[in-house]
Amino acid sequence: MMRIFPVLAVCFLLAGVTIAQQAPPALVSIQEVAQGLPADGSRWLTFGGNYSNHRHSPLTQITPANVSRLKPLWTFQTATLGNFETTSLVRDNVLYVTGPQNVAWAIDARTGRQIWRYRRELPQGLTACCGLVNRGFGVLGDRLFMTTLDAHLIALDIKTGSVVWDATLEDYKTGHSSTIAPLVVKDKVIVGAAGGEYGIRAFIDAYDAQTGKRAWRFYTIPGPGEPGNNTWAGESWKTGGASVWVTGAYDPEQNLLMYGIGNPGPDYHSESRKGDNLYSNAIVALDADTGKLKWHYQFTPHDVHDWDATEVPILADLPINGETRKVVMFANRNGFYYTLDRTTGKIIVAKPFVITTWAKEIGADGRPVLIPGHTPDEKGEVTCPDLTGGTNFWQPSFDPSTRTFFVNAREVCMTFISWKPTYTPGERFTGGSGQRVKPSESPAWGALRAIDPATAALKWEFKFLSPSTSGILTTASGLLFSGDSDGNLLALDSRSGKLLWRYQMGAPLHGTSPTTYIIDGRQHLLVPAGTTLTAWAIE
Amino acid sequence: MPAMTWRLFSTVVVSWALIGPALHAQTRNPYEDNPDAILAGMGGYRVRCADCHGTDGRGVRGPDITTVWSTGRSDEGLFNTIRRGVPNTEMPAFAAPRASDRDIWQMLAYLKTLAAPAPTDPPRGNAENGAKLFRTLCAACHKANGTGGRLGPDLSRIGTGRSRDVLLARIRRGSEDFRAGFEPVTVTTADGATVQGVKKNEDLFSVQIMDNRERIQGYEKDKAKAVENGKKSAMPVFGPDRLSDSDLDDLLKYLQTLRGFDPTVKQQ
Repeated sequence: MMRIFPVLAVCFLLAGVTIAQQAPPALVSIQEVAQGLPADGSRWLTFGGNYSNHRHSPLTQITPANVSRLKPLWTFQTATLGNFETTSLVRDNVLYVTGPQNVAWAIDARTGRQIWRYRRELPQGLTACCGLVNRGFGVLGDRLFMTTLDAHLIALDIKTGSVVWDATLEDYKTGHSSTIAPLVVKDKVIVGAAGGEYGIRAFIDAYDAQTGKRAWRFYTIPGPGEPGNNTWAGESWKTGGASVWVTGAYDPEQNLLMYGIGNPGPDYHSESRKGDNLYSNAIVALDADTGKLKWHYQFTPHDVHDWDATEVPILADLPINGETRKVVMFANRNGFYYTLDRTTGKIIVAKPFVITTWAKEIGADGRPVLIPGHTPDEKGEVTCPDLTGGTNFWQPSFDPSTRTFFVNAREVCMTFISWKPTYTPGERFTGGSGQRVKPSESPAWGALRAIDPATAALKWEFKFLSPSTSGILTTASGLLFSGDSDGNLLALDSRSGKLLWRYQMGAPLHGTSPTTYIIDGRQHLLVPAGTTLTAWAIE
Repeated sequence: MPAMTWRLFSTVVVSWALIGPALHAQTRNPYEDNPDAILAGMGGYRVRCADCHGTDGRGVRGPDITTVWSTGRSDEGLFNTIRRGVPNTEMPAFAAPRASDRDIWQMLAYLKTLAAPAPTDPPRGNAENGAKLFRTLCAACHKANGTGGRLGPDLSRIGTGRSRDVLLARIRRGSEDFRAGFEPVTVTTADGATVQGVKKNEDLFSVQIMDNRERIQGYEKDKAKAVENGKKSAMPVFGPDRLSDSDLDDLLKYLQTLRGFDPTVKQQ
């Protein structure tokens, strides 16, 4: 017996060493990430569902005919202040969710029960602009990637939520922050810096997913000697903002990243930064391996209304005028809808999708034809849309089967006022503000609009009493899920805009949309609203 | 401790001893109505606050802060909110030395000019008669100091929140913009009954109202025959035929005395 024990112990130790030395299986391959939403509904692994940001599911169990039989399965509560703006990831029956205040969870998708929780200790005096939110994880292998309000990018162990590496983007004390959902492309994690209201000089960064080392940086404001630096008068490029806080798209065929860039700073004061102010309010196309700029298109040159172009770009190949065009679709905060050629950045279609009073049209040269009298000053001027814009960061959707672009649009005007600001590191640097226009003079309302991207023509609209800030999910069964500003979760027929079903969630879906996936053979609908996540399925 | 540091330290301690208790006891803004401070406060407000709260203080990204006094906040409480911020929200702390006490008081002095009655109000009118007129003409819908109706806004602090001119215009000429929670609405129910009241909330599918008998109740739109928004405020217009200029002066004088209601039960 005495002899057997050491033998057994040695065997056990050897076996243990062998197990420990075996590399754990890579949980999430880059092929899975690149595949987008599979037909079996087992995964949702990127912000927009696929690299093209369609936010359109192939699942068909929930249909216009049975959607009214949706029943809640469970509700998860964050127990934190602030609301969800996240797109949850799902794989192997587990949800990976980021919340406000940089808290994150792994949640059992069957029951809504927490598996692990991560909470980042945030520094005192954080000046994170605008909202202490987070828009979701990226994932590769056994790691989740999350940006933080104090301007870091962290990798978490997907099984435990413990920190694997922690990379600093920039110093949060100078107003830098990050809320964007990382996009994983090949072996890199793509993120951007927020803080456009604090006089930062923003950037898009790529980090090595394994090591956390920075692979490249693209400054969204060119430095001295670089093309475009002369679009900023004097030293204004140093504090020009041009932040990056909404995940872009990736075109594998061209190996191109396409990201929308935020407003120039100071937001409203024209004299402080004469020139076009590249690449603020533009979409930039970058080589995913090097970060080199391939093309850009600036929606609003020299913006003075805080109209970040941080909306979600959507990619598709569309038949237009008898030929198949590789396009990027973009409903912009400035009130215009654009279909661009994504190989060149040239305009194919550009038309207003809400009432716009600042520009007559987009000219043949791609520049807006300005209507005079819309530069804010001390006295103020009324412009439509308002600073929140014709739409904003909440996600549109694209149904490839009907070639329809869906967006939540706002019809709101505002008095813009401007004054000369002084830059102090870490303090707000906007040079103005706005005043709401009285409802009796200009009522504020909104509509969910279905747009033909080949012509920018309106197919249908569903009107709201007040503008919705909800993202949109569509499914191959012809359903559209979104929400209104009053907390109603809505299911519409995506072909007609007819309301099919609704439920009062108690808080609006703000800056996020439902997602959908299959658990144990049943299609689930996951709805982030306020501080809750609720899973639904057909009974 | 080096001599210079010690000297500085003792100066700070002495200064604190002199200023600290004074500030601690401070409940009213020492710069209120000071024209120079108000001007300086406007500069500070515009740089630090207007981006979120609007140049007129009525809210853009952040909430309307012109009604803070009329909802019962004190100068000292507001000072502390600015100094400490609101944790876990976008409202930052304006800590020293980034913002001095004087900076904050000046910004509050300016903000109060956006919120408070103009100091040039004429001193005419008899508040006692105004109180009687209020009970006769207004109290069916408006509460003041704990008595009155609920259909209209509670006016117990209206004297801190509206200028005489604004009150006068509201009484004489009405208003095209309804205050949220007081928009007139009429619901026709499935059985044909008509319910009139003011709207407390609404979404695409339902409306919640206080009816003219002060019953609060929700109605589902698809189960109602009609839900119609009124175009005119439920607040009647009082022209000179219904309220003489002299009585109007008295009523305004009374309204200006309404500067807060203490609901604490006082033991006899």
